[in-house]
Amino acid sequence: MLVEFEQIEKAQHGDDAAFNQVVIAYRKRILGTIARLIGRPEDVEDVAQEVFLRLYYSLDQLRTPEVFEPWLYRLTVNASYDYLRKQRRRSESRMSDLSEQQVMMADAAAGGKISGEEQRQKQVKELVESLLAGVSEQDRILLTLKEVEGLSLKELEKIYKVNENALKVRLFRARQRVLNAFEASSKESRRKD
Amino acid sequence: MDQHDRELDELLASYRSAVPDPDPSANFMPELWRKIEARQSLMLRVRKLTQVFVGAAAAVSLLFAMIEVVPRTSRQDLSQQEMAHESYVDALAAAHPADNLAALGIVPHDSSDSRKK
Repeated sequence: MLVEFEQIEKAQHGDDAAFNQVVIAYRKRILGTIARLIGRPEDVEDVAQEVFLRLYYSLDQLRTPEVFEPWLYRLTVNASYDYLRKQRRRSESRMSDLSEQQVMMADAAAGGKISGEEQRQKQVKELVESLLAGVSEQDRILLTLKEVEGLSLKELEKIYKVNENALKVRLFRARQRVLNAFEASSKESRRKD
Repeated sequence: MDQHDRELDELLASYRSAVPDPDPSANFMPELWRKIEARQSLMLRVRKLTQVFVGAAAAVSLLFAMIEVVPRTSRQDLSQQEMAHESYVDALAAAHPADNLAALGIVPHDSSDSRKK
């Protein structure tokens, strides 16, 4: 826990200063998780603000401060899922739709300003995002939480309120799909080389 | 397959470092509180509108109830007053108009007398 239970209880009872402290403690972690879940840096703050907005209006429904973190992750998952669903509707990928970071990267690469490490990270980012694009939004989020964020099955169980076996089956299927896509892309890149 | 599995694990692990936790902008908290206040004022407006709507609905219901109850009671009062003055025969005649009796083949006493005359 990044804050004391007492702080959460105060926020639950309408103490805005305590709520402010809770947001300040968790915002960086939530911003990072959202950045990896949605893959569009320019929209990360908006989605994170939506998460904390939902938290503000649902904090009174939290039974005990002990379940605060799974609760916050649940809100993060829901807000990211809503965002990804909206994005899918606007699925046309034109240059104007590329994220600011992608455009900056493209410009920098064209100008030869990008370093070797940045280039490698860009490749990793693009490859992972293209692999995750092959599965549903729910599976993308679940897989990212498990494989990238490193959450345990017990933690996922609390977030999703689904039993561990159901989660294992779902994770296995999602991973298989990503693995197949990964194998195909590896073969393709070897053929090009 | 195992090799690909391992490579995928490494790739997903390196994705975390490729997309590090971004620093919040200076505008993050003010913007969040602006959104919270905007939602609060919207909820307040909705609540007020609901109260007005509920009040108006209650007033209209009361009005309809009064329209429904008041004339009925006055009609009942009137008929009760009439009933207090009329005799049993008058009440019987009112309940069985001459036309209805004729349809049943019952001829009123007065009309047969007039035919004889």
